[in-house]
Amino acid sequence: MEKASNESQVADFVRAARQAKSSFEIVSGGTRRAVGRPMGNLPLLDVSGLSGIVKYEPEELIVTARPATPLAEIAGVLAEKNQRLGFDPADWSQLLGSNGVATLGGAASADASGSGRLRHGGARDSLLAFSAVNGLGENFRGGAKVVKNVTGFDLPKLVCGAYGTLCVLTEMTFRVYPKPQFTATLCLSDVTPETGFAALRKIAHSALEPAGLAYLPASMMPDVGQGAALIKLEGAAKPLEEKLAMLHGLLGSVAGRIDSDPFGAIGSGRQFADLPGDVWRVMIAPSDAPRIAKELYVRHWLGDWAGGLIWLAAPPSDAARIRGIAASAKGQAMLLRGSAESRAAYGLYAPQLKPLADLGRAVKAAFDPLSLFNPGRLA
Amino acid sequence: MLLPPTDSKIVARRAEIVDALRAIVPDGVVADESGLATFDADALSAYHQTPLVCVLPSTREQVSDILKFAHSQGVPIVPRGAGTSLSGGALPREDGILIGMGRMKRILEIDYENACVVVEPGVTNLNITKAVEANGFYYAPDPSSQIACTIGGNVAENSGGLHCLKYGLTTNNLLGVTIVLPGGEVVTLGGKSGAQGGLDLLGLVTGSEGLLGVVVEVVVKILRKAPVTRTLMASFDTVSAAGACVAAVIADGVVPAAMEFMDGRAAEAIESYNQPGYPKGAEAILIIDADGVEADVAHAISRVTDIVAQCGGKTVEATDEKQRTRIWSGRKAAFAAMGKLAPDMICMDGTIPRHALPYVLDEMAKLSDKYQLGFCNVFHAGDGNLHPLIIFDIMKPGEFERAEKFGADILRLCVRVGGVLSGEHGVGVEKRDLMTDMFTTVELEQQGRVKCAFDSKGLFNPGKVFPTLSACVEQGHIHVHGAQLPQPHLPRY
Repeated sequence: MEKASNESQVADFVRAARQAKSSFEIVSGGTRRAVGRPMGNLPLLDVSGLSGIVKYEPEELIVTARPATPLAEIAGVLAEKNQRLGFDPADWSQLLGSNGVATLGGAASADASGSGRLRHGGARDSLLAFSAVNGLGENFRGGAKVVKNVTGFDLPKLVCGAYGTLCVLTEMTFRVYPKPQFTATLCLSDVTPETGFAALRKIAHSALEPAGLAYLPASMMPDVGQGAALIKLEGAAKPLEEKLAMLHGLLGSVAGRIDSDPFGAIGSGRQFADLPGDVWRVMIAPSDAPRIAKELYVRHWLGDWAGGLIWLAAPPSDAARIRGIAASAKGQAMLLRGSAESRAAYGLYAPQLKPLADLGRAVKAAFDPLSLFNPGRLA
Repeated sequence: MLLPPTDSKIVARRAEIVDALRAIVPDGVVADESGLATFDADALSAYHQTPLVCVLPSTREQVSDILKFAHSQGVPIVPRGAGTSLSGGALPREDGILIGMGRMKRILEIDYENACVVVEPGVTNLNITKAVEANGFYYAPDPSSQIACTIGGNVAENSGGLHCLKYGLTTNNLLGVTIVLPGGEVVTLGGKSGAQGGLDLLGLVTGSEGLLGVVVEVVVKILRKAPVTRTLMASFDTVSAAGACVAAVIADGVVPAAMEFMDGRAAEAIESYNQPGYPKGAEAILIIDADGVEADVAHAISRVTDIVAQCGGKTVEATDEKQRTRIWSGRKAAFAAMGKLAPDMICMDGTIPRHALPYVLDEMAKLSDKYQLGFCNVFHAGDGNLHPLIIFDIMKPGEFERAEKFGADILRLCVRVGGVLSGEHGVGVEKRDLMTDMFTTVELEQQGRVKCAFDSKGLFNPGKVFPTLSACVEQGHIHVHGAQLPQPHLPRY
């Protein structure tokens, strides 16, 4: 394992790897190494030294940090100015059985958003600019450190969710958002998936700007009858009161306030950490959620993003069936946690159709022609 | 402006190309001189070029067949929506097929259950909102040309508008697109689930200015209309006080739906043009919209009012919807109003870090002295998107050239303070040769390789966005003569 702690060390390493035509795995906190198609025993490039906030400009709504900056560190610094990242970065370390530290670059590269994705979108909607080293060993920047920019191709979108297959990130600039003064979590108990998801969609399409909308069946939450619709609202004191009143008007029934905030556990997949089997994230059109949940026919599941995301645990033998159900709904079933065998057999996502798969490979090659970075991980 | 040289061999084969296109779209080929004249420019009307031929497909199969033909024959393609681009993105080529998407204008599905609409690319931006507003929904991105510009063009340009600070640009409001690649293959990126199962090619294609493919279907998110919107005007004695106020509002955690800045000269011109009731004698004015639930809006308005006072400004709130509309119609007519100051003008479109505003305004005043030309500023202050308007008289020898140089210097200034060449109008042909001021050779080559991944033959919109090796002196501008903006009926900026 080699360590690179600055941009020029990264570039040196990549140029040497290029010379030797030797692929490698990029690691920093290491919490997400068990996601994606296994790459075998490759040399490691440890970029955990590329850490720390470079510049935080609260009045410009931007923060620039090196990619190995821990999520907790950045959240703490932003909170001092009553701000937060927009994409609700999710720490999957417990689910994936890792003792590592979840980082900013890892969360964005894995497109790992929690329940708050509803509010301000995913990492791709917040990453404004980055610096990186491409597969030719060249330093380059994508995007710009301003909140509105259409100059040239929008490369920041591409690196989010690319699982480190395009370049080695060395710096990232995110848009930040004001942190609400208060939050309230509510629970509508004893509702079926049909009723629960319908209520959540109604709230999603209201002016309430919710920060979390999830449905948990009885198997995932005790004492809620058939299941619970969970709702998180945000605001300053008076607006929050008004939103609560509007919510009750909208639902026509009273959702009870609860003291705990279950959304942290939902977004990080902690509720599945101790369950056996593979863990999937299935992304679908929200209105398909009740039907898909029924078709999936598993005991342990929940629906986040008002139904747009179904989490579930299932035995490895269910993999093809789950992929088939997702495809029938024009959705995507992502194998988040699985044995090396499952991941080798099924990959992170279902194989794409030919023209799209070819295009993806060509775009990868435009950054990394020799496939040095995390080869095959996203394939 | 140098465009890649015309391929005379293609021009010589024109009759054969026209016949081949007629075989694909029998009723949709424009080949006569007067018909083609209507397509010879977009809204960057300083540049004209009659296309080789224009084809108007009605189906994605026709689009695919056209592209397969062009690909096999090596004929360049220029995609066009409504032709409202301010950067020359749809400027035709003498040796290229102009593919106009205006006939594909069906709204295919309105899905309230998933808060999205599936449309063909030729649907206008405003028609999406019109289709859903009876049910209390709207499509958020609102470029000022929204009555005419199409969603396909919005995807190509990643269009913005007055409300992007809170609601994002086009790219943040899409769930999926279907595009036809240069080789004729049809691929769908995303969909109602928004998920792509691989690289975010949807994000890459959005804002790619017609360099990567032709959009044939779009899935957009729709939002519930905010129950309450209130509008404040704030006036200041100095530009720097207004700039400080913008920064203080953002730092306070208020995200206004819109926050627009105009300098005293712009405000005065607008006031005499359509009397929106702007405060007299101010050096700078801010117009601020807050929307949301009632208490949220009340909270924002009270915070902004306090901050304006702390910054030495005065606020007036619009008392009813009629006054709100008047205030905004003044702002949207800024361009036309400026035409009163001088016979000609050019408009720039850079973004700067907001903190650099006072410095940039000072530097622009120095440039104004240097080039002996007047200017004024309107500015999407919330997100730092600056629209300086340079005024001149094309009949006076040398003024046009000076105005172009002044404009290019302003964009270089934006880049120098950490900003960008274009916040929302796109690079197109107009800012193409300034790209080297913002990007290194390595960065331009990296983007060039991405282009090649889609378009190995380099047939899609050649000469746009990326500079040719033989760079010439270029500028970013829209040229307006006699206060006549191209498509003068459209609001701008």
